[in-house]
Amino acid sequence: MRRLLKKASRNFLYLHPWQLVLAILGITLGVAVVVSIDLALESSLNAFKQTTQALSGKASYRIIASDGGLDEKLYTRLRVIHGIQNLSPVVNGYVDSTATTTNNTFRLYGIDPLIENSFQSAWQQQYEDGDSLSIMTEPNTVLISRQTAQKMQLQIGDPFPVTTDTGLHVLKIIDWLPENDAGELFKHLIITDIATAQEILGLVGKLSAIDVLITDVQTAKIQRIREALPADVLLMPLNNQIESLRHMTQAFSINLTALGMLSLLVGMFLIYNSMTFLVLQRRRLIGSLRSIGVTRQQIFRLIIGEALLLALIGTVLGIVLGIILGKNLLPLISGTINAIYYPVDHSALIVTPVQIATGFLMGIAATLLAVLAPAWEATRQSPHRVLIRSELESGVRRLIQSAAMLAVLFIIAGLSLIMLTGNNVTLGLISIFLMLLGFALLTPLLTFVLMTMLEGGLSRSSSVLARIPVRMVKSEISRTGCAIATLMIAVAAAIGMDLMIGSFRMTVSEWVQASLQADMYVNLSGNMQAANKSAADHLLKQKLAQLDGVEMLSSVLRTRLIRGDTPSKISVFEINTRSRQGFIFKRSLNSEVWETFNRQNSVFVTEPYAYHQGIEIGDSIKLRTAQGEQSFKVIAIYADYSGDQGHIAMSRNIYQRYWPDLGYSGIGVYAEQGSNVVQLEADIKQLLKPYQTVRSEQVIYKVSMQMFEHTFKITETLRWLAAIIAFVGVFSALMAIQFERTRQLGILRAMGMTPGQLSRLISIETGLMGLIAGLFAIPVGFIMAYLLIFVVYLRSFGWTMAFHFDLSVIFQGLLLAIISALLAGVLPALKMAHTKPADALRAE
Amino acid sequence: MLYKLQTIFLNMIKKPAIEIFQLSKDYLESGQQHVIFKDLTLSVTEGEFIVLLGRSGSGKSTLLNLISGLDQPSVGDILVNDINLCGLTEQQRTLFRRHHIGFVFQAYNLIPTLTVAENLLLPLELINPVSSNDKNKVVELLTQLGLANRLDSYPDRLSGGEQQRIAIARALVHNPDIILADEPTGNLDIDTGKQVLELLDNMVRNVGKTLIMATHSEEVIGKADRVFAINNQSLKLVADNR
Repeated sequence: MRRLLKKASRNFLYLHPWQLVLAILGITLGVAVVVSIDLALESSLNAFKQTTQALSGKASYRIIASDGGLDEKLYTRLRVIHGIQNLSPVVNGYVDSTATTTNNTFRLYGIDPLIENSFQSAWQQQYEDGDSLSIMTEPNTVLISRQTAQKMQLQIGDPFPVTTDTGLHVLKIIDWLPENDAGELFKHLIITDIATAQEILGLVGKLSAIDVLITDVQTAKIQRIREALPADVLLMPLNNQIESLRHMTQAFSINLTALGMLSLLVGMFLIYNSMTFLVLQRRRLIGSLRSIGVTRQQIFRLIIGEALLLALIGTVLGIVLGIILGKNLLPLISGTINAIYYPVDHSALIVTPVQIATGFLMGIAATLLAVLAPAWEATRQSPHRVLIRSELESGVRRLIQSAAMLAVLFIIAGLSLIMLTGNNVTLGLISIFLMLLGFALLTPLLTFVLMTMLEGGLSRSSSVLARIPVRMVKSEISRTGCAIATLMIAVAAAIGMDLMIGSFRMTVSEWVQASLQADMYVNLSGNMQAANKSAADHLLKQKLAQLDGVEMLSSVLRTRLIRGDTPSKISVFEINTRSRQGFIFKRSLNSEVWETFNRQNSVFVTEPYAYHQGIEIGDSIKLRTAQGEQSFKVIAIYADYSGDQGHIAMSRNIYQRYWPDLGYSGIGVYAEQGSNVVQLEADIKQLLKPYQTVRSEQVIYKVSMQMFEHTFKITETLRWLAAIIAFVGVFSALMAIQFERTRQLGILRAMGMTPGQLSRLISIETGLMGLIAGLFAIPVGFIMAYLLIFVVYLRSFGWTMAFHFDLSVIFQGLLLAIISALLAGVLPALKMAHTKPADALRAE
Repeated sequence: MLYKLQTIFLNMIKKPAIEIFQLSKDYLESGQQHVIFKDLTLSVTEGEFIVLLGRSGSGKSTLLNLISGLDQPSVGDILVNDINLCGLTEQQRTLFRRHHIGFVFQAYNLIPTLTVAENLLLPLELINPVSSNDKNKVVELLTQLGLANRLDSYPDRLSGGEQQRIAIARALVHNPDIILADEPTGNLDIDTGKQVLELLDNMVRNVGKTLIMATHSEEVIGKADRVFAINNQSLKLVADNR
C-alpha cells in the first residue's frame, strides 16, 4: 500500500521536474548562503586563535605592556631573580618582502630557539633535535613556508630582502617552516631569532610580549609573576585575549549571520511556494486517495516524506555550494575584520563537522517548517470537498485572514521585543525578522484589498482585457500573494539596507569633513617601540613648523594603554584652536572643557567606547601607569566612526605626565591663508622618509569614504544573494501560476487571443505583482532602515546617526521589484504563449 | 419528395463552408507513430449541421481542433471559407479563429476570473474595442437565454446547464460563421443536455451558421443534416437527413 501511494505521488513529481528543481534550488541557495557565511566568518575569526596557538603552543598566559613595549631586562629578571621557568620572549611585527616584484607583507616573529620544548609551538615541532640552533648561530637567517618560497621561486640559501621603518634588510632563508596542520597559517610568516627581529624592527632592548606556560594548579606562580611585574605591565590569560577579540567582533558576526538568515527566510518562501504547488496540483489525486480510504496521517507522511527527500538533496547540494561560496566570501569578511578590528594573517577556509552538521540540520528544519502548512492543508479537508475548486479558493481566503491575524501578532511581538530587550543585538535582529515575517504574512491580504480597489476603478473602463490581469492576481491570491511577499521581503531588505547605508554614509561623510580641519596630514606610522622613533618624530615636527606657509600644527598619537586588565585604545591629541572644531560632541559643553582637557587628569571618550563600556560624563577611568593606577575623569563624549569599539582621547600634556614619549602617529599641518598648498605639500615630502606620507584633507576624505564603501562590500554581496533567491522564488511562483492556468490560457487562445496578446497579458500581471511588491516594500523598507539605524546599529556599535531620506533609493527599490517580476515572468509568458492551444486545452 | 429535391438543389448551389482534402494526422508517442486520420476528405456546406460520432480517443476533438486552426494536420489541406488554414502562420490562424470560429466545450471553459457579461464581451473586445452596442447585445443575448439576472455572476456560481448556455452565447456573440461544439452535453444530465441541444439547434441553425458537433449522444442524430462516425482513421457517413 505504502509503496503504491509513493508511486502514485512520485509519478506526479516526475511530470513536473522544473518545480522539483526550483524547490531543491530554494533549499540549496538558502543553506548555501547560511553555511558560507558561517564558514567564512568562523575561519576569519579563528585565524587569530589558530595563529596564536600555532605560535605560542601550550602557553596559557602572556605578559604584555602598552605600546611602549616590554623592556627585555624584565625577561631576565623574571627568570634569573624570580626563578620563573617556562617563559618564552617574543618580538613581532610586520615586514614587506622585496624578494619579488609583487609586494608581500609578512609577519616577522622573533623567538628564542633555546626555550623549553614544553611550549610545543608549531614552529618548534620540527626542530626538537636542535637544528633550529642554526638561526641563532647565523645572524639574519629566517625560516619560511616552503609553499610561499616556491611561489616566490626561492630556495634554501637564497637571500630574502625585507623593508621596515628601519630600512632595507637582507635576510637569508635557512630552512622551511614545519609542514604540519599549521602550514596554512605559516604562508605569511617568517621566523627568526629575537636579536635579528629586534634589529630589523628597530626594537633593540624591547620585547613585544612574553608567553608563559602555567598549568591549572600553578596559581601561586601567577601570583609570583604578578608581584614581579611593573605596574604598567599586565599578565593576562591568552584565552581572555582571544575571547576579547571574539567579543569585539560579536556584533559584526551577529549582523552577518542575520543577513545569511534573511537568505534562508527568502529560501523558505521559495520552498513553501514549490511545495504548495506540488500539493495543490495533487488535490485531485489526494482527494481520490482519501476517497479510497487513505488516512490523513498517511497523506501527511507522504508529503513530509517527499519534502524530506528534497531537503536531503537540497541541503547536501547547499553545503557543497556553501563551501564554494564561503571561499569567495572569506576575503571579503577577512578584509572587513582587518579594516575594522584586528589583523587577520591568513585566509584559508576551515570546515568543521559541527558547522556541516549545523547547516544540514538547518536545511532540513527550514524545509520541514516551510512544508508544514501545505502538508496540513492537504490533509485537512474531507475527501469530497478536496475535489471542489471553489472550496480551495474559499479555503485560501480563510487562510489569508488567518495569516493577517498572525501577521499582526508577529508585528506586535517584534515591536514589544524591541522595547523590552534593552541593548541585546540578537533580540533586536530577531524583532526585525518577526516584523518582516509579519509584513510578509500581511501581503496577501493587502494585495487582495488593493486588487479589489483597482478592480473597482477599472469597472468604469469598458475593456475586459484590462481587467483580466487584476482578476488573475486576485483570484490566484494563494500563489500570487506568496510570490509578492517573497519579492517584497527582498526589496524591503534592499531599500532598508540602502537607506541605512546611505544614512550612515552621510553621517560618516559629515563627520570626516568636520574632523579634517587641517590642510594636510603627515602619516608617521611605524613601530612605536622603536628606540629612535620619538626623537625622529619630534625633529620632523620642528622642521614642519619652520616651513614657509605653515600657520600651526596639531598631532595625534594612537596607542594602547592598560585599563583594568585589558588594553584600551587611546588617541593622544595636541590640539589647536582650529582642530577643536573637529570634535562633534554628543552633548553641549561649557567653554572650560578644553582647558580642563589640557590641564587636568581628564579624558574624552568616543560614543562607541562610552556605549560598550557603559561610561557617562562624570565617570572616572583608571589607567595603569608606571607609578600605579591613575584616575581620569570623563568630561565629554564625542562622535567617532573610525571603529566600532571606540577609544579614549587624552591631551598630550596629560599623557606625558605618566607614559613614555612614543612620538606621533600623525601630524596635522595648517597652512597660512593664501599660501601655496601644492608647494607646501612638496616641501613636506622632502622632509619625509620613504615609509612616511603626506596627504591633503581631500585625499584623506576620499580614502576614508573608499574604506567605508569597502566595509559594506560583504553586506552588499549578501543582500544581492538574498535578492537572487527571491528572484528564483518569484520565477518559481510565476511558472507554477502559468502552469496551473494552462487550460485557461488555452481557452483564450482558442477564442482568438494571439501569442503576443497573451504574453502582454501575463507581463502586465507580473508587472502588477512587482508593482505591488515594490509599493509594499517602501514602507516596510523604511521601517527596516529605521530599526537598523536606531536599534541594530546603535546596539551593535553604539553609533548614532541621522536618518537620511533618499528618494532615489525608493525609486530604485520600486524599479527593482517591477523589473525582477517582469524578468521572472518572461520565460513563463513565452512558454505559455507558445504552448499549442490544442495541448493547452487538453491540460487539467 | 419535392421538398427533398429542393433541399439537395439548395445544398448544391450553396458554397462549401469547410473543405477537407486528403487529411492525415499522426503523432509520435514513446517512439511509436500513432495515426488518427488517414486520407480524410469532407465538404461541409454553409449552414449545415454535422454530427461527429465516435468512441473516446477516436479523434473527434482533434478534427474540431484542426478545423479551427488550433492544431495542424500532418498532411492535407483544410479550407474554411476558401481560406487554406495549412498555409497560414500561427498568428494568422489565431486571427482567423477570432473572426470565424465559435467554440463550445464539454467543460464549458468559461474564464473563471471574468463575470458572465465579461466572458461574453471578451470575444467582441478581441475584434474591436467594446462599445455600448456590444454591451446591449450581450444583455439581449443573456435575456434571450433567460440569464439576464446573472450578468455580474462569476461562472463558478452557476449550474452546469447555465454555464453551458453562457458558453453557447459566448460562441455566438461575435457572429462567427462556424460553431464547433465538442461534447457540449457530456457534463450535463439528460434533461439539461436536451435543453442545451435545443438551444444550439435554435440559435445556430436559425441564423444560418454552420455547426459541427462532436458527441456520443444518439439523440442529436435526428436533428443533424449529416452524421459521420469516425472509424478506422476515416469518416463514415452514417446518416444523411438533408
